[in-house]
Amino acid sequence: MACAQYQRIRRSVNEFRPALGVLMLTSAVACAAPPPLAPLGSLVVGLEAAPTTLDPRYGTDEKASLIGDLLYRGLTRLDRHGNPVPDLAISWDAEPTRYVFRLRSGHVFHDGSAVSAADVRATYESVLDPATGSPKRESIAAIERIETPDDHTVIFTLREPFASFLDATGLGILPGRQLRPGRREVTVGCGPFRLASFERDTAIVLLPTVQPAGDAPRLPGVVFKIVPDDTVRALELSRGMLHLVQNAIDPDMLGWLARNGDVLVESVPGTTFHYIGLNLRDPRLGILAVRQAIAHAIDRPAIIRHLLKNHGEPATGLLSPQHWAYAPGGPRYGYDPARARALLDAAGFPDPDGPGPQPRFRLLYKGSSVQARRRLAEVLQEQLARVGIALDLRSYEWGTLYADIRRGSFQVYALAWVGVSDPDIYYSLFHSAMTPPRGNNRGGFADAGVDALLEATRRTPDRDRRAELYREIQGALASQLPIIPLWWAPNVAVHTTRLRGFEPQPQGSLLSLRRAWLDPGTDPAAADALARRAPTKG
Amino acid sequence: MILRLLLRRCVPVLPRLFAVAPLVFFFLHLVPGDPVDVMLGESALPADKEALRLSLGLDRPVGERYFHYLASLTRGDLGESIGLRAPVWRLVASRYPATLELAAAAIVIAVSVALPLGIIAAARPGSLLDRASMAAALFGASVPSFALGPVLIVVFAISLGWAPVSGRGGAAHLALPALTLGVGMAGILSRITRASVLEALAGDYIRTARAKGLGRWRVLTVHALRNALLPVITVISLQLGALLAGTIITETIFAWPGLGRLTVDAIAARDYPVVQGCILAIGAGYVVVNTAADLLYALADPRIRHEGTRER
Amino acid sequence: MRGPVSADGAPRRPRSGPWWATGLALLALVLLASFMARGDPFTQRLEEDLRPPSREHPLGQDKLGRDVLSRLLYGARVSLGVGISVVLISATLGLALGGVAGTVGGRTDRIVMGVVDVLLAFPGLLLAIAVVAALGPGVTNVVLSLSLLGWTGYARLVRGQILSLREREFVAAARALGARPVRIAARHLIPNLAGLLTVQATFGIAGAIVAEGSLSFLGLGVPAPLPSWGGMLADARPYLLIAPHLTIAPAAVIAFTVLAINLLGDHLRDRWERASSR
Repeated sequence: MACAQYQRIRRSVNEFRPALGVLMLTSAVACAAPPPLAPLGSLVVGLEAAPTTLDPRYGTDEKASLIGDLLYRGLTRLDRHGNPVPDLAISWDAEPTRYVFRLRSGHVFHDGSAVSAADVRATYESVLDPATGSPKRESIAAIERIETPDDHTVIFTLREPFASFLDATGLGILPGRQLRPGRREVTVGCGPFRLASFERDTAIVLLPTVQPAGDAPRLPGVVFKIVPDDTVRALELSRGMLHLVQNAIDPDMLGWLARNGDVLVESVPGTTFHYIGLNLRDPRLGILAVRQAIAHAIDRPAIIRHLLKNHGEPATGLLSPQHWAYAPGGPRYGYDPARARALLDAAGFPDPDGPGPQPRFRLLYKGSSVQARRRLAEVLQEQLARVGIALDLRSYEWGTLYADIRRGSFQVYALAWVGVSDPDIYYSLFHSAMTPPRGNNRGGFADAGVDALLEATRRTPDRDRRAELYREIQGALASQLPIIPLWWAPNVAVHTTRLRGFEPQPQGSLLSLRRAWLDPGTDPAAADALARRAPTKG
Repeated sequence: MILRLLLRRCVPVLPRLFAVAPLVFFFLHLVPGDPVDVMLGESALPADKEALRLSLGLDRPVGERYFHYLASLTRGDLGESIGLRAPVWRLVASRYPATLELAAAAIVIAVSVALPLGIIAAARPGSLLDRASMAAALFGASVPSFALGPVLIVVFAISLGWAPVSGRGGAAHLALPALTLGVGMAGILSRITRASVLEALAGDYIRTARAKGLGRWRVLTVHALRNALLPVITVISLQLGALLAGTIITETIFAWPGLGRLTVDAIAARDYPVVQGCILAIGAGYVVVNTAADLLYALADPRIRHEGTRER
Repeated sequence: MRGPVSADGAPRRPRSGPWWATGLALLALVLLASFMARGDPFTQRLEEDLRPPSREHPLGQDKLGRDVLSRLLYGARVSLGVGISVVLISATLGLALGGVAGTVGGRTDRIVMGVVDVLLAFPGLLLAIAVVAALGPGVTNVVLSLSLLGWTGYARLVRGQILSLREREFVAAARALGARPVRIAARHLIPNLAGLLTVQATFGIAGAIVAEGSLSFLGLGVPAPLPSWGGMLADARPYLLIAPHLTIAPAAVIAFTVLAINLLGDHLRDRWERASSR
């Protein structure tokens, strides 16, 4: 009896076993990554991580805007100086509360429909709709109504003057027909490339589209390949498996790449601003002399030369020299440890044991756990120790770091502002009323004079007048040092020598890929592909 | 009867699984940090962050969110990733195969190294071969994966170029990560195999077989091995915890798109739904594997199979 | 009769032989060297970043120009310190909770064992990461989080011993004769436990070192500028192509240290088993 049972179980297990085998096999096959459907001769760009979304209404991270530049067109776009220039709009009239845009004709969405004023209106209204949940809503909240008297004209009426309105008109336009209420992703634009596939762990594939009047891209395709590992990115670049990587190669690897690959390293001054944030409510950091001492204690040239391998420029303030509102001037703080010590002595913080290990006082430093940041933190700790300030380092990942900084639970931190284009950010950073949670004035900086200047910038749409105001603001901030500027990071693009027509932009924008092409070199198949895509205009 | 066995094993586990879900939920909310901050970064204006928080429903009180979560769980809905706006189950499902592939390959490597090693050692206990193989086993079990992985990369991927540095792809991509993960388990398994083969060899029935004139190797492989396999299965299922922990490190080193890395990244990003989904998925995986191990054990060992059946 | 099985039928483990002495020697060497270190693990020389091994710096220099050898030796202090602290705390916790569960029994026992089961149901590292994420970085928090997860092994051990002791006949006999439970515990429980706990603790130190290394590798461990082996391996990752010495050295040191501790643990276990089966 037991024997029969045993036999039955044996048989069922035996039947089960091949099924299990098949299951494992199919899962193994399914596991093998499917190859991206990119045409031969496509440009392969390396990214360290995929963007969270490509819908222009939701995408706020850098990668979303990089790829978005190629997929979408907005009414305007920014040039290398941060000025709005025409994109979908041929021209516009700007009055304090009324903006009239005239659209170019002939643009077509990737789904075939023509671009009209109605689509512009639908896109903006979608962003304004709270149900969409777009983080860009606030930047255009000043819009009272949008009118479209004809297919090529859009009129925005604002509730009150908002000088930065033009900066927000870079929003990628989506086809009105595809926009529904609620949170749904739409990735159809009218840019020179369209989205062919989006596999978060593998690659994002873009294919060129037909453009009006000789604007067609010369690349048969662009693949954004996700390569999270630093070493692999460098290796693949050297082997020609990646053609372009921007701002994602460790500075130390650049020398190795130059020696081991057929690549070119192009560096243009950028807008990313690295700085040290200070909590002015702390009794010691509230003293200007202490802040000045810290600024003098940091050996910026050495950091830039060795840590960044010269890919950086000592910064004087938030705005970099390419920006239209940039103004030099104000005191500079060179590396001068002797002066730093003198300032601290005079401020009432003598060094208890001279050059010995005892510090004048201790400060708590909070930074991100990203490796490059931790290295910087250790260097800062060492340099401040030389003038007698002990820095206690704590690394956190972003979530906790922001929470702490927002709560004011910090003394010193170091971060960077990426892609500064709208100078209105000064308001949120330094106006005395804009402390968290209202704004980003985390250090609690309060100066009546600066407040007045900041308020004035918001009231004037006149570009020159604003530039003058910002000049005064930058001078005041350089004197009062609520934050300590470190450096401006350049945009470093490493690409194969076969890539032509690519121009790195300060903001890191990949717009020049609209006109770039890959020289086939010795690859006959690629030469074929290029020949088939020869430019249409003479 | 198999069904009864299954039920007996599975049922006590389910309440445990459901006990974990609320613990994880509340625990995560104790962790400081806001997913919106992580998503939008520093440059975002606070008004944008508020808008996003509203749209994600993060402004509602914790209790209410927990209730919604439980309700959606019963419907089989694991929620949506805060950062990626994709359904959690789809994220987890897309990463699961990668982790399974890695774990399975590691187990295969471990077993195929450990069994022969253990048997050879047990065949001649006390000999130089025995000592050497057990020393190697101990070494394998001692080296942590975060040390072994990078060294393997330096030696095999960079210097020799025999394998790719990282990423998931074909068999070549699997080699180094599976090795990193499997070596530790191989070390432990070798020692267990040796011990259980030795024990099996000492059994009476072996002496009977030998007395009957069966060759030494046949005795070793057919009889001793089958009995020795049982503890091996147990050890594998017990070591599962270490294996899954190992995948976290290994997936990080080799940029393997698996569940371990997803969980760590989600914790860093405060992506609560994803973390909960991952933990539930891992817990479910445990249940399945342990049940399967129990089943295999029961099938192999008649004594266990028949426990609970009445005398006829 | 010598054979693969010892007197009471339990299989003999591979005899640890003279290996354990090697282990002890390695360990002693590491400890001694770490306290005698003459180099400076902290001084930065940015101009000398990523230099390969040289006479003044036998294992080369890291990205900030610091001496790798000094950092490794100092890191030994950190890792071993964390390992020993974690073991002390988890053993105490485990002893207390397991002891209570074993002696009181009933619902308390079920609750404690239930918690143990749940904790064991998930990969320890994952929970450790979550705890450190909650508490923040720092040596104390690392020790705390690892201890919170490590006590389970000791609790089970202690409880198991207490339960098995209860069932032994001589205990019932002694109780019948009037001996107080405390005396029984002292004479029988503690000697057994001492041996078992020592073995468990030794392996526990190795485990804690690996766990701390894993946390540091993920960036969640000991904060700078304290050198940590796991942290050094993490820092070396971007430079695999241009400075492999930064990876090989810490990897070798940590492997050999853990190996040494495991060898020691093996030996201790053998001795205890031989002693207890007499």
